[in-house]
Amino acid sequence: MIRLRNIEKIYRTDTVETLALNSISLDIAKGEFLSIMGPSGCGKSTLLNIMGLLDTPSNGQVQIDDQATTALSDKQLAHFRNRKIGFIFQSYHLINDLKVLDNVELPMLYRNSSAGERKQLATEALEKVGLSNRIKHFPKQLSGGQKQRVAIARAIVGKPEIILADEPTGNLDSAMGNEIMDILLELNKTDGTTIVMVTHDENMARKTHRLVRLFDGTQVQ
Amino acid sequence: MLKHLFILIWNKKKQNSLLLTEVLVSFLVLFAVFTLLVFNYRNYSKPRGFEYSNVWVANFNNDLGTTNGDSAAMFYDNLRRNMLSLPQVKAVCFTNANTPFSGNTSQTGFPYKGKDVRSINYYLAEDSYKDALQLHLLEGRWFAKNEGAAKNKPIVINNKLKTELFGTGKALGQLVGDDKNQMQVIGVVEDGKYTNEYMPAGKAMYVRPDTSEYHWMGTAMIRVAPGSDAAFEGRLYKLMANTMKNANIEITHLEDKRKSANNTTLVPVIILGTVSGFLIINVALGLFGVLWYNINKRRGEIGLRRAVGATGNGISGQLVAESLLLATLALLVGIFFAIQFPLLNVLDLPTGVYLWALLFAIVFIYALVLVCSLYPGKQAAAIYPAVALHED
Repeated sequence: MIRLRNIEKIYRTDTVETLALNSISLDIAKGEFLSIMGPSGCGKSTLLNIMGLLDTPSNGQVQIDDQATTALSDKQLAHFRNRKIGFIFQSYHLINDLKVLDNVELPMLYRNSSAGERKQLATEALEKVGLSNRIKHFPKQLSGGQKQRVAIARAIVGKPEIILADEPTGNLDSAMGNEIMDILLELNKTDGTTIVMVTHDENMARKTHRLVRLFDGTQVQ
Repeated sequence: MLKHLFILIWNKKKQNSLLLTEVLVSFLVLFAVFTLLVFNYRNYSKPRGFEYSNVWVANFNNDLGTTNGDSAAMFYDNLRRNMLSLPQVKAVCFTNANTPFSGNTSQTGFPYKGKDVRSINYYLAEDSYKDALQLHLLEGRWFAKNEGAAKNKPIVINNKLKTELFGTGKALGQLVGDDKNQMQVIGVVEDGKYTNEYMPAGKAMYVRPDTSEYHWMGTAMIRVAPGSDAAFEGRLYKLMANTMKNANIEITHLEDKRKSANNTTLVPVIILGTVSGFLIINVALGLFGVLWYNINKRRGEIGLRRAVGATGNGISGQLVAESLLLATLALLVGIFFAIQFPLLNVLDLPTGVYLWALLFAIVFIYALVLVCSLYPGKQAAAIYPAVALHED
């Protein structure tokens, strides 16, 4: 499903060159739930951004569904992200000025879906994460766990094949974190969604199919 | 997408209120300025109705030393003949002080078919008046020498008065005025913009003076040959001064008076335009600043939108569209107020003036908002999603 070959990411300033990722090669199968662990600054989020086509590697190849993504235009990349990938972030990234339902509808907006279809899919996604009674609330009226569930609903509303989660439980207490993890496990199990999750939590990582460890930009496990 | 943007704007109405107010105030100022400009331009583009070049105006306070009308008429006839003997003088007419661009008015009124027609500019016009000003005759004829014998006093009216009195009907031969003082229309001339070229022509009637009215005349309009110079002006002055002993005579050129009269309209317009220009520059800078600030505040949102499928151009387009939608909301309020002017006929201007001003103000506001939002929009499109999402 996702194939990374010799991925390097170098951040350059006038005086300093920092190697954030060093020759990472990774294959993630369809339906796999992979977790990535490592200390802060080791390149976990950078790797996830490269997988999610939000960032480009300095060297190396990214293939998703057997398609090389290096040469895709901005429009093609946007289309790819919209159709294939759902994102979940540690800080939720909900738009505070939009109600829960409008937040969840957001990816469908870029598919030019009709208002009726958007509403239906968003409602279904919210039902899946147990928040159908909060559709008219604004994000500020929700707890951290509820916000992350809204973010999950937004990630799954377009039925993507891949979900990339960057420390989805990082801002939550353990009970809430477990709730979110259960939802992700359920999505992986029932819908066969491929999930890649960056985490600092060993317990969460143990629940996934495979664990990849990074250290100073290099894959150590 | 439009509905989505509207929801976004509506939910942020408090934050957007400053921007909305700025756009609304700018629109109203622009509407006022454009109303003035359109009104002046429309007037300017209409025919003047007479030729001002090579027309000199001589004002004098002549004590004729007689109350006899015939003697006065004879005096002026003699003066006219003397002036016409100068080769540069092409036409001379004596009239009252309301010559073009003089700022003087003399108005009258009369009843017509039960209607009291008022605010008619009244011009004492000798037979040579038409030649001196080169009035454009549209219908009928100008005064002739034997008019004194006519049963009803002959008058020439302008097109504006004709339209008010008779609409599209026939004007020539029609009788106006009350039973004791009936006047007959013998000709129709083109409307003359006597105030200045930016002001509309008023209703006008031209009446041939009878001998009793020569006492009131203190102005001569003289059409001279092109190229007549100061030396000739001196000779003309001398001739008049020799004829009218102890009279104060002042000769001015209609061309100079025209410039001065036009300035009475142009100067306030230029001042208003300059003030509103500075206001618009301030508004543009304000708009630019607010949009720039909003984009920096919304970097996380922009990163997210990129992540869920928006292209760079899509982000740019969304931000521009948001600004234009905001402008539309402000314009709807502004148009509501602006449209009251033609509906309630507040300033007694033609509806077309308001509609053009409305259109120009709307186009200007959209152009302003577009220009102010393009660069911030372009900057937003360049935001790197991974960086923006990491920052928030």
